[in-house]
Amino acid sequence: MASNASKRKNAVFLFVFLVLTVLCWSPVGYGSYGEVGLIMSMPSWAFILLLIGAVLFVIEWGFLFFSDLALYDEDLEPIMNELLKTIEQETIKEVN
Amino acid sequence: MLAAVIITGICLVSVFISYLAFSKGFTKNADDYFTAGSSLGYFILIFSLLASFLSAFSMFGMAGFGYRLGFGSLYVLTANLVPLGFLWYYMHKKTFLLGRARKWMSMGAPFGERYGTPMKIILVLVVLVSSIPYLVAQIQGIGVMLETMTEGLISYHVGLFFVPLFIALYLMMGGMKGAAWVNAAQGVFFSIMVFVLFFFVMMKNGGFAATMDQVLVKHPNLFQLGWSGGKVWSYPMIFGMASAMCLGCVCFPQPYMHAYASRSVRGLKAMFLSFGGICLVVITLPTIIGIAGTLIVPGLKGVEADKIFGLVASATMPDWLAALAVSGGFTAAMSTVNGLVFGNATNISVDIIKTLRPQTKPMDLIFLARIWVALIMAVCVVIAWDPKTPVAELSVIAFGTVAVTFFALWGAYYWKRATAVGAILSTVVGVSMNIAFFVAGGKNMVLFPQASLFQLNGFLASFILAGLVFFVGSFLTSPGKTEEKSLGFFFHPVLSK
Repeated sequence: MASNASKRKNAVFLFVFLVLTVLCWSPVGYGSYGEVGLIMSMPSWAFILLLIGAVLFVIEWGFLFFSDLALYDEDLEPIMNELLKTIEQETIKEVN
Repeated sequence: MLAAVIITGICLVSVFISYLAFSKGFTKNADDYFTAGSSLGYFILIFSLLASFLSAFSMFGMAGFGYRLGFGSLYVLTANLVPLGFLWYYMHKKTFLLGRARKWMSMGAPFGERYGTPMKIILVLVVLVSSIPYLVAQIQGIGVMLETMTEGLISYHVGLFFVPLFIALYLMMGGMKGAAWVNAAQGVFFSIMVFVLFFFVMMKNGGFAATMDQVLVKHPNLFQLGWSGGKVWSYPMIFGMASAMCLGCVCFPQPYMHAYASRSVRGLKAMFLSFGGICLVVITLPTIIGIAGTLIVPGLKGVEADKIFGLVASATMPDWLAALAVSGGFTAAMSTVNGLVFGNATNISVDIIKTLRPQTKPMDLIFLARIWVALIMAVCVVIAWDPKTPVAELSVIAFGTVAVTFFALWGAYYWKRATAVGAILSTVVGVSMNIAFFVAGGKNMVLFPQASLFQLNGFLASFILAGLVFFVGSFLTSPGKTEEKSLGFFFHPVLSK
């Protein structure tokens, strides 16, 4: 159940990252060729681009530091122990 | 003269910082020299990674780009890099975890273990070839700006030797720890100086809004997308450049080296997240400085526009402050050369020499890495001798070329069915296509959308083809012994979070 909830949350984050990345890489939906209006003395699309970048930054921050989906320091030791155990087993297998 | 003194002073301080790392014994063994013994805390990591990427391109090049092409340049190196917070984490989480468990020291290590030795060696060579234009861009930028700042006292050609000599010296001495310390100090310095320069340039014409209003009247193109008959900042051009720069960042050696050097998960995440956020602010400023520069120093063309950063500093600030501001750009270039040369020298020593001669002792590896640092620098100086392509374009070509290794990396960590044949073919085809486009149509074919490539630029066409080759090649071939053996480690259940 918990795993399903995590998967759903992960999918939502992935979708949001994907959409915002596309918007950071192209002006689809907010930029047009030729003359445009100004926001804060910049072309409106340039201002919106910077705004989208800032929003994506905040969402990434949330994902990396405040969600249960990312890796944390307390996870590190058990992961290292497991990996080192695997390496040890592999080495023993190779020697034999 | 003052400028020359300030720059020499900065170079000497950098050498001194690296000497501290050397004298404190942080380069005693290979692990210390190449990965700083996985001991870097997050402040050093953040600014070291930032400085190792932000370069002559982000300061001089982006100011020149803004000057020539306007606000569309913001798609090249600002908001388009924010996705790296997630992308880097996703792609290099396993680099950090597996690297720590296996004590990896170079970027070829994961490729070698997952796909075998041939892929490891090909990768090192591809990264080296891709790094050269970017390194040349830095050294070229340093030479141009040194000549500008000293008003010809130090000529372009003397400038090519001046700073790289110092960089080679402190890299050879201090290893990864020395490089990271120097990078961090330089990163803080140039971030501050770009704010100071921005303030002075905007005040010259009565503030930001007044300056932009005047630019709009004189150069309305700079505020538009799709100008020059739809060619400049067309949607395909924007997408091609933005994605090339972002994906290239994933594939250069710096994130690998910093992931190995990170002490904690928190530091790793902070470093990856901060990069995009800081770029969003710190690189937007030189771009806008370049745009405002069209009012202060009009009429520069092509490579000459790379001088705009130094010229506006001279025109708007007292001499000593202008020298410091441009030195900020200098340190950005120095730290990038630093990070990239060190990454490549490590790759060659550990991935090629150690693989071909396993009996090589760790201290011999360090010695060979130092030799490679000097050799790579020398080659770049020779290529930069006769500059033809502006810094910004050289840099985008480099990032676009290295980005074709993206699929092999993704497959190594996230696709069990990936095979060595698919990875090798995709990398070789992608790089060859980039080189072929460059030879056939010059930088325009690589950077700008082409009707013959369905409005894609050469980079995107190569990237897409590399992806296709990777998937088709992997499906048509069976995983060999190396790929099968690697699955237990690379896809260990404990790595699923």
